[in-house]
Amino acid sequence: MSILSPEQQAIKQSAKEFVAKHIIPFAAQYDKTGEFHPYLLEASKESKIFAMAVPKEYGGLDYPALTQALVLEEWGYGCAGMGTTLAASVLSMDSVLVAGNDEQKRRYFTPMLNAEIGSFGLTEPGAGSDAGAGKTTAVKVGDEYILNGTKCWITNGGYASVYVIYALTDPAAGMKGISAFIVERGLPGFTIGTVDHKLGIRSSNTVELLLKDVHIPVTNLLGKEGEGMKIAMKTLDMARPAIAALSVGLAQRALDECVKHVQKTFTGKSYPGQTLQFKLADMQILVDAARLSLHNAMQLRDAGLPYSKESAISKTFCSDVAMQVTTMAVSLMGTYGYIELGKYMRDSKIMQIYEGTNQIQRLVISRAVLAPPPAVAIAQKAGK
Amino acid sequence: MNFELTEEQQLIGQSARDFAKEYLEPIAVELDHSGTFPKAAVKALAKHDFLGLLLPSEVGGAEAGFVSYVEVIENLSRYSAAVASIVNNHTIAAYTIQNWGTAEQKKQYLPGMAKGEVLGGFAIYEHGPTPGVGPDALVAIKHDEGYVLNGKKAFVRNAGEAGVYVVFATTDPALGAKALTAFIVKADTIGIKIGEKLETMGLKGCPVADITFENVVLPETALLGAVNEGAAISAKALAVVSVAEAAQTVGIGQAAVEHAAAYAKQRVQFGKPVATLQAIQTLLAEVATDCHLARLGLQNAAALIEEGKPFEVEAAMVKSFLVRLGSKMLLDTCQVEGGFGYSEFMPLPRMFRDIAGTNLLDAPGDFPEKLIAASIA
Amino acid sequence: MPKCLVCYKWTLDEQDIKIKPEDLSLDSSRAKGKISDFDRNAIEEAALLVEKNGGAVDALSYGTPTVKQSLKDCLSRGPEKAYWIADASAESADANVTANVLAAAIRKLGQYDLVLFGEGSSDQFNQQTAARVAALLGLPCLSFVQKMSVEGDVVKATRKLEDCVENVTVKTPVVVSVLSEINKPRIPSLKQVLGAAKKPNEEVKIADLGLKPEDLQPKAVRKSVKGFVMQRKNIIYKETSAAENVAKLKSSLAAEGLC
Repeated sequence: MSILSPEQQAIKQSAKEFVAKHIIPFAAQYDKTGEFHPYLLEASKESKIFAMAVPKEYGGLDYPALTQALVLEEWGYGCAGMGTTLAASVLSMDSVLVAGNDEQKRRYFTPMLNAEIGSFGLTEPGAGSDAGAGKTTAVKVGDEYILNGTKCWITNGGYASVYVIYALTDPAAGMKGISAFIVERGLPGFTIGTVDHKLGIRSSNTVELLLKDVHIPVTNLLGKEGEGMKIAMKTLDMARPAIAALSVGLAQRALDECVKHVQKTFTGKSYPGQTLQFKLADMQILVDAARLSLHNAMQLRDAGLPYSKESAISKTFCSDVAMQVTTMAVSLMGTYGYIELGKYMRDSKIMQIYEGTNQIQRLVISRAVLAPPPAVAIAQKAGK
Repeated sequence: MNFELTEEQQLIGQSARDFAKEYLEPIAVELDHSGTFPKAAVKALAKHDFLGLLLPSEVGGAEAGFVSYVEVIENLSRYSAAVASIVNNHTIAAYTIQNWGTAEQKKQYLPGMAKGEVLGGFAIYEHGPTPGVGPDALVAIKHDEGYVLNGKKAFVRNAGEAGVYVVFATTDPALGAKALTAFIVKADTIGIKIGEKLETMGLKGCPVADITFENVVLPETALLGAVNEGAAISAKALAVVSVAEAAQTVGIGQAAVEHAAAYAKQRVQFGKPVATLQAIQTLLAEVATDCHLARLGLQNAAALIEEGKPFEVEAAMVKSFLVRLGSKMLLDTCQVEGGFGYSEFMPLPRMFRDIAGTNLLDAPGDFPEKLIAASIA
Repeated sequence: MPKCLVCYKWTLDEQDIKIKPEDLSLDSSRAKGKISDFDRNAIEEAALLVEKNGGAVDALSYGTPTVKQSLKDCLSRGPEKAYWIADASAESADANVTANVLAAAIRKLGQYDLVLFGEGSSDQFNQQTAARVAALLGLPCLSFVQKMSVEGDVVKATRKLEDCVENVTVKTPVVVSVLSEINKPRIPSLKQVLGAAKKPNEEVKIADLGLKPEDLQPKAVRKSVKGFVMQRKNIIYKETSAAENVAKLKSSLAAEGLC
């Protein structure tokens, strides 16, 4: 693990304690029922953790990226579903951080100081990986925009106070005609649709959002018209490592549970053989390497350096590691694993899919890998 | 070398497939939700002779070979792996009695099992590192009239529904696994307590529970095979069942890749069906490949079992392959379907949860590689 | 106790056949064989009648040498014995040739009270074979049968016609062709599948049927078989109002003579 400052260590420890008290004892129950967890928001009020990415000037904790990753790893360790609630709320506010003006930031961030959550509305039934293919429209009429469309698989959608919704202000321009808007809960015409029952992260709320003639003031437009996809891409760059963090926590938890079971099973004279020992070693190698790739990306971001490629690498690698480690955990522990460790395997799968599938991540990474080095690029541009 | 199934094996497989489509497809989702034992489906299986598939005709079995059996299991698993699990665990109990039972034992238990009137269970696992070792191990003490059993068996499938269990206990805790001995135990024997049904990630509908034995008295006639022969018997039986479980894995994987391929052909993103993207093609191709190779491997092991030839190494190889790559079949097909592969209203999530239960190690650290290595080094 | 003969065709399973996009030709290389769908109903109906009334069912099939693959499948579904004619002429046979061959074979095999067919085959669906065979044998023919029963030497049947349902009675011997709704073929149990291997089958050589060469020449020659792929026009009407869109749609349909 990276060398942490005393402050980071304290925050990590604090998150650990919070998770041990409020998440770990309840995770299995919420996974079983698939219910959302308002109690957790209540318990989070004091720590203001839902405002961990909110800048100081708006009353937030203003944690650096690496510190946020430390917190999210602890939440992922406790329950990837509950961790998703936090991660997705931060994802949505990242759009406002990227493109919002002062007034918009204040409006969007203030609820989070009180553990109210945000929701990021980009995906549609016909716009998954092809995020630019969305059909939701925003027609400007006077000093309002009127929104119409359907969003699906929207995390936190049923419980958020604030949303960032992406819609076409210029349908003819396709992807370049998408704009980003703040939408507040409870506006007429804005309804929560069906709740999705999922294979994993069940306590995370995933819903359809239905927009029918939803009127919002022009002051809800983030940035300029047509900047939507740019804002979305920047947002996802920032937010991807959150998934990496959840994944690392999830993987470490599965491994720790395996180790506990092995220690309980092999007592006295019996001892786990070399093969099992080495598999556990392999799992720890992967988790450690995953954590380091994540911390690397976060340190780049905190230093103000380009980190888009590293962000994609950490999301891909950490989620792939989580999938691999949790799958191994189940099969290696036999029927015990199938009964007790299945949740981690189920929770891992979505890490490879949401916030940009690992296939999309590989597109981002391969583009960076195949791009000519800067000197060559300059020369090419100069027409040599 | 003929890689084609015989006409008979193909017909049996087709029969199982038609049966599964008719009787299992309509109940698979509900079965997964409720976890309630599918009595009607099991009755229908019995009527179609699937529960006595391997047993000789004298006891009312269909006397089919093991290759036909794995064809049946693969085809049932395409629609409901949970039901296939019920059949597997029942069949292995019957197989054990068939191969190690006395003439009287076979006459007493097999006709009912062949007809599906009595379901079988196989109680081998324990919570300790090896059956016969540890404080909870099931111990059988010799008594004047037979044996007295005390202890616990873990994770017994078909527990609570079975009418008869093949149970493994150690006759000497000091010797542990070396003194493992097999017994045939009727479910209604006094002192047997079926524990609470355990919640597994998938294969719901095939019950799993611990069974506690409190001063269970068994007559001498309950002894299956010879005293202390239990380790050899269970090793062989588990090797046989592992080939059948491999067929479950392949059945689920095959159904999943077909579903994912059909999805990919109609899901349009970036202006084209995603099936045209190399990323998706790679995922589908790897799953199809692993399925195909695993199938060939398990059919080979099944043929060896059918011919009475040594098969344990080949069975272990198939198991080794699938412990490593079995679940990947669903990890990859769920990936193809993206969000749809994660929504429980689609079939892949259930298959994901099911397939993970078909390629488990028998116990932590019980690697098939050990046997394979012993055969070559 | 009727003596039944059921005639069936061994066809390719159409879901295994792929259409080549370049020229719409068919790739049947991976297609498995199956008993033609309606024929399966005919076999099942014969099996049910015999279960109810006693008697026995024989089966007869004319096809290319692959017809041998059909025998166990057929025998697992009720028939006691299967007769088969394997000849290259079956590849290009039309209903005329098929009827010639089957009628000659039936004459050779002996007296049957009831000869059953499926209404049409799953590949050609000409719906002619049963009627032609009946004509050649000088027997009455009941087609489009959706329900039937046998009492002694009388066959009672319900025929489903386009605008009505007709109940008829005929004295045996009679040729009957059945619709798929007449029954739901049961899935053979494993014992039935395994038992099929023990049932007898017999080849009937085409040379022994006393047919003339012209009897085996198809009158309708199949030149090619192409796949059908529905081409969608993908026209979207984007006028400013619904009324204008409807008007545009109407004029397009009228231009194609559709309204």
